[in-house]
Amino acid sequence: MKQFNSLQNTASQHEKSAHSEASSRRRRNISAALRYSLLAVFGLIMVYPLIWLVGASFKSNSEIFSSPWFWPQEPTSQGYVDGWKTSTPYTFGHFFLNSMKIAIPKVIGTAISSTLVAYGFARFDFPGKKILFAVLIATLLLPDVVTRIPQYLLFRELGWLDTYLPLFVPQWFAWEAFFVFMLVQFLRAIPREMEEASRVDGANSLQTLIFIVVPILTPALVSVCLFQFMWTMNDFLGPLIYISTVENYPISLALKLSIDATEAFNWNQILAMTVLALTPSLVVFFLAQKSFIEGISTGGVKG
Amino acid sequence: MGGDSKYLGLWYVAPYLVGLLLFTAFPFVSSMYLSFTDYNLLSSPEWVGLENYEKLFTRDRTFRKSLTVTLTYVFTTVPLKLVFALFIAVVLNYRLRGINFFRTAFYVPSILGGSIAIAVLWRYIFADTGLMNMIIEMFGGEGVNWFGEPANALFTITLLRIWQFGSAMVIFLAALQSVDRSLYEAAAIDGAGRWQTFKSITLPLITPVIFFNLIMQTVQAFQEFNGPYIITEGGPLKSTYLLPLYIYDEAFKSFDMGNASAIAWVLFVIIMVLTLVAFWSSKKWVYYAGDKRS
Amino acid sequence: MARLSLKSVEKVYGNKFKAVHGINLEVEEGEFMVLVGPSGCAKSTTLRMIAGLETVTGGEIHIGDQVVNDLVPGKRGIAMVFQNYALYPHMKVHNNLSFGLKLRREPRDKIASATQEVSGILEIEELLDRLPKQLSGGQAQRVALGRALIKQPEVFLFDEPLSNLDAKLRASMRVRITDLHKRLREEGRPATVVYVTHDQVEAMTMGDRICVMKDGHIMQVADPVTLYERPANSFVAGFIGMPEMNLAEAVLTLGNTPELTIAGQTIEVASELAERLSGSEGTVTLGIRPQHLTVEPENAAGAFSGEITNIEFMGHEVNLHVDVGDNPFVAVVQSDRIDRQLRRGDRVALRPVGSKIHVFDAMSGENISLNYSNN
Repeated sequence: MKQFNSLQNTASQHEKSAHSEASSRRRRNISAALRYSLLAVFGLIMVYPLIWLVGASFKSNSEIFSSPWFWPQEPTSQGYVDGWKTSTPYTFGHFFLNSMKIAIPKVIGTAISSTLVAYGFARFDFPGKKILFAVLIATLLLPDVVTRIPQYLLFRELGWLDTYLPLFVPQWFAWEAFFVFMLVQFLRAIPREMEEASRVDGANSLQTLIFIVVPILTPALVSVCLFQFMWTMNDFLGPLIYISTVENYPISLALKLSIDATEAFNWNQILAMTVLALTPSLVVFFLAQKSFIEGISTGGVKG
Repeated sequence: MGGDSKYLGLWYVAPYLVGLLLFTAFPFVSSMYLSFTDYNLLSSPEWVGLENYEKLFTRDRTFRKSLTVTLTYVFTTVPLKLVFALFIAVVLNYRLRGINFFRTAFYVPSILGGSIAIAVLWRYIFADTGLMNMIIEMFGGEGVNWFGEPANALFTITLLRIWQFGSAMVIFLAALQSVDRSLYEAAAIDGAGRWQTFKSITLPLITPVIFFNLIMQTVQAFQEFNGPYIITEGGPLKSTYLLPLYIYDEAFKSFDMGNASAIAWVLFVIIMVLTLVAFWSSKKWVYYAGDKRS
Repeated sequence: MARLSLKSVEKVYGNKFKAVHGINLEVEEGEFMVLVGPSGCAKSTTLRMIAGLETVTGGEIHIGDQVVNDLVPGKRGIAMVFQNYALYPHMKVHNNLSFGLKLRREPRDKIASATQEVSGILEIEELLDRLPKQLSGGQAQRVALGRALIKQPEVFLFDEPLSNLDAKLRASMRVRITDLHKRLREEGRPATVVYVTHDQVEAMTMGDRICVMKDGHIMQVADPVTLYERPANSFVAGFIGMPEMNLAEAVLTLGNTPELTIAGQTIEVASELAERLSGSEGTVTLGIRPQHLTVEPENAAGAFSGEITNIEFMGHEVNLHVDVGDNPFVAVVQSDRIDRQLRRGDRVALRPVGSKIHVFDAMSGENISLNYSNN
């Protein structure tokens, strides 16, 4: 009798555990389903303005105002054609080139100077290093609102107003501490033995930097360049302060101009130009998505 | 390394040193000097002592308005932004497939959002016949006058900033993912519920990241310029006239460098005080695992 | 090939920590010198000072007839093999090998022939076009070796190169390295080698001479046999030899019959030994190697009795662990010479071979039972 009961007990225990396994799996599935739907809905709301933007740029002016749906009923590229011409004597392409004239020297300068400075901090001991590094970290948090006006006056003295020089020269001096900091963190994670082997092989510190460290540092450098490129393309206040002639406007200022132009906005043109203005950043971002998010996580969390 | 000069490192750091002096240290000091002067670029600066500051705090209504608006803006957007960022990071911190896709979707707004392009888009979205009102009307409501009412205008730029929570979210997500899973298992064995686990284990462990994000977001929020400048132009009635806009107008429209510097310094001091308060308070609530710092 | 001299070399760190205390070491031309010791003994620090990867805060390092203290590593005529291989990850193997030569602007044909020769010696010809990450541990270490070899340095430095390899590979690489050393000597280009390891088996099998270090001091420098048979102090005695030499506190009484007492048990001491120990009465440290103990029945004469705590059957030998009072002893006996019925808890006696007893000063650890002037 006892044996039979215990068999029965085991059987019902099995049932129960199978039950609870199934119910916890169900709970997990429900939880996952909830998460997915929350993310999907929220994500859609977040991204819709951008989706809508792209769609609207292909609509005619009147169609934009007719419905919130993003897909154009009658797709047209008229917005792009008109927007490209802009209401100035210059085409959008001209302004894009101007932006590149700022971005390229800025990115190159940032990459070179940040690498040199990060190498100095990460691999050498020198008098005053601790203080200087503390200052570097402090400037990460420091608002630059106080320095803008005197910088303007300085560049004015140098006669650099209405040129691109104020916009990229500071970067040749590793002026953006964020990138130096990011590279220092990366360097700290790289074992020194390869550099030691290089010194033993007869390389001096600069040769070691160029031939050994930089190739290993490449993923981080790519992140640095991409970040800086994107920030530059989107930079508005800098050009606003220093560039006064329309001919020299980068796309950020050209875009502002297009809104100022007339009261009755030709929104399809403006939106088309907006899409064009955002495209380089978006392209660059998607091309290097992985190294991007790695870069920001390493630089941020390990700080 | 044997044979290397002990100053070798300095040579590598030299560009930073030079740049620091030229573009940071020297401007920093001279802006303080300027704030005590009256300088309009046509003649040399004239020392006026504390006059600029006195005017700001006693007779400048615009300044008071701007300050209020700025503080409202910061103390609204920063907490909300952090809450959204943390919330979505927690939702994402699950072994879901396609997590990368969602992470990107939430992150993209923050890389584009600071740009003037998005500001222009925002201006359209909240126009009287813009996207937002179209959606509201689609659901049977009445279109809102976004740029005519002060509260609504402030809402639009607040929303823009919160929309960009992706960058903070990515950092939170990385922190959440670095929490040792065995801690959760131990908590489960101890019988802790979901919320209890979050409150007692997850939250304390990510306080350094919360602290970091808090500081970065606050400092950035105080310096917001593009959004209000393009979308609402500081209006209506200066209801979105953040301090950076006031500084810009004073410096580059009115060319009153002295006053502009004074306002900049007030803003700077506010930011520094808040930062220091945050640092001081961090000893109470930030937990550094395995760190020998106090 | 060149002589290497360390004269009163010292290393003090910024926080006033003295890692290396004024050591003196002479490495002859073409000699294979091993630096061995427990972790923290500063053997790697010393090696790195020779290499120039650490600055020397006191004393002088001579390579050949040059004082190299103020020379950068690349100009000291040294080559180094690292524990983690330290191959350049973004360069193919042949570029890893030739990097140093290219920096010296050697002509291309010379680089090519040198690469050929070295890769032949180390049997890495098929690996020349691979990247380091495509190499196994053993292959990577051979490439690291090749990178050192190709430079034809005055002194070769090895920093625990085999620690990252599995036991089997370690054994074969040991042979490869010593064969290489022999071969270079036979070819008339003897290589001066300084080799750091924490493994005393590696030290004993590879070194012409071994330098035993502890806490930044040199404890003894000698060839393997001397280190084993005539350790200068209790540290070296305990460090060299497997299983470790038995060291126990004992009381030495001299007089008509010199005696050593452990845990209340006394044995006589041979008179030649007693002569050398005159003036050292009192507490001393007794040392006897496990291989120099025979197992006798309890209370046998001239032996120490104790309880068996463990019996380890090693195949050809048995490791017998016996507690004499509070002192743990290990005796290594051939398995066919020992009573198979012995169990834990049984009591036996251990008789030391009289001529193999070492007596160390209880305070300084110095071996007072050796008389060096008498050979």
